[in-house]
Amino acid sequence: MLNGLNIEGTTLLHRMTVRMKLAILLVCGLALYAVSSFFVLVPAFIIAAVIYFTTGLAFREAVSRLKPILFTILILLIATAYLTSIHTAAESFFRLMAIVLFAGAVTATTATGAFIDEITRLLQPLDRLGLVRAADVGLAFGLVLRFVPDIFNHYQSIREAHRARGLKVRPLTILAPLIILTLKDADTIAMAIDARGFRRPRERLR
Amino acid sequence: MTTRDLVLIALFTAIIVVLGLIPPVTLGAVPITAQSMGVMLAGCIIGAKRGALAYVLVILMVAIGLPVLSGGRGGLAILAGPTGGYIIGWVVGAYVTGILAERLVSERQTGGRQIAGFLLASVIGGIGIVHLFGVAWLAFHTKSNLGVAFMVGSAPFIPFDLLKACIATLAARAVLAGYPLLHARA
Repeated sequence: MLNGLNIEGTTLLHRMTVRMKLAILLVCGLALYAVSSFFVLVPAFIIAAVIYFTTGLAFREAVSRLKPILFTILILLIATAYLTSIHTAAESFFRLMAIVLFAGAVTATTATGAFIDEITRLLQPLDRLGLVRAADVGLAFGLVLRFVPDIFNHYQSIREAHRARGLKVRPLTILAPLIILTLKDADTIAMAIDARGFRRPRERLR
Repeated sequence: MTTRDLVLIALFTAIIVVLGLIPPVTLGAVPITAQSMGVMLAGCIIGAKRGALAYVLVILMVAIGLPVLSGGRGGLAILAGPTGGYIIGWVVGAYVTGILAERLVSERQTGGRQIAGFLLASVIGGIGIVHLFGVAWLAFHTKSNLGVAFMVGSAPFIPFDLLKACIATLAARAVLAGYPLLHARA
């Protein structure tokens, strides 16, 4: 039900570490906001487009992922061009597209598991300070992925119950039973996690 | 944070993901996704801290490339794009909604007072704060002024958001009556 948006492959971007990719994305993103010359923005846009379309993503899929973002960008920039200048609008277009395309390429080349590992590693310093438990993030991810299909089944049975009674399926009558049905399992799940000792007290880990 | 809080956060994140999977209800020609009610629901039902953390988890899932947003969207491009501000605004919006709901609503009040409290919290946190972040980010990214960004990015959606605030309010009130969680300390 929830497959990652990444695609298998062996390109340079696939082989790079997650931390490296995120650092490049951040640095490039910030750097592009500092320049306004077309001599930098247009090549950046072309390079990002080449990287994005060579990640191994099928062309049609690659385009359809961009559509919602492209739509917003175009509407905004038409308004900007009309109200300020075409120059500013074009500049924003190349900058935004370069960042969006490169971000899309990072997503397409990074497995979700690798991302979760990296997040846990990046949280280690905060863990040592006692601010968050890095292991909790992975546990929470696991719980979400585990329970999405169950909650979707809850939704379907509530919908069937509506149909059986000839009621129209409306958000208002679906939300409350869906939320109550889901959250009332929280105690049982929490007890099951504690009974298995997944979240041991901090002291005992040392 | 107890294990129960962690589980409530994860379950609410899962509910938000499922709300994005169910087909949108069309009002006239405009599709209304149930997912955009999540901010108001999270704040009003599980409170400020847990509601905001549920959205931090949603953003992490988007960032690692899971298609958890309505219409199967996800990935870093959504966060880095011009509408990323609205997504960041969800965390703060859920927190503000939660703070207001915790202060304004109690289980001993009459139904009318509870509904008024939830509605105020949803409108300020779920609409005001979210659009504030969204518009500021949009204006910065497109180098346009705030007025233009508001007219293009926010104004067309606000009437529908008000309708969603009403639905979220009634749902939150029903959950408070059936399975109260708001005031259990996070």
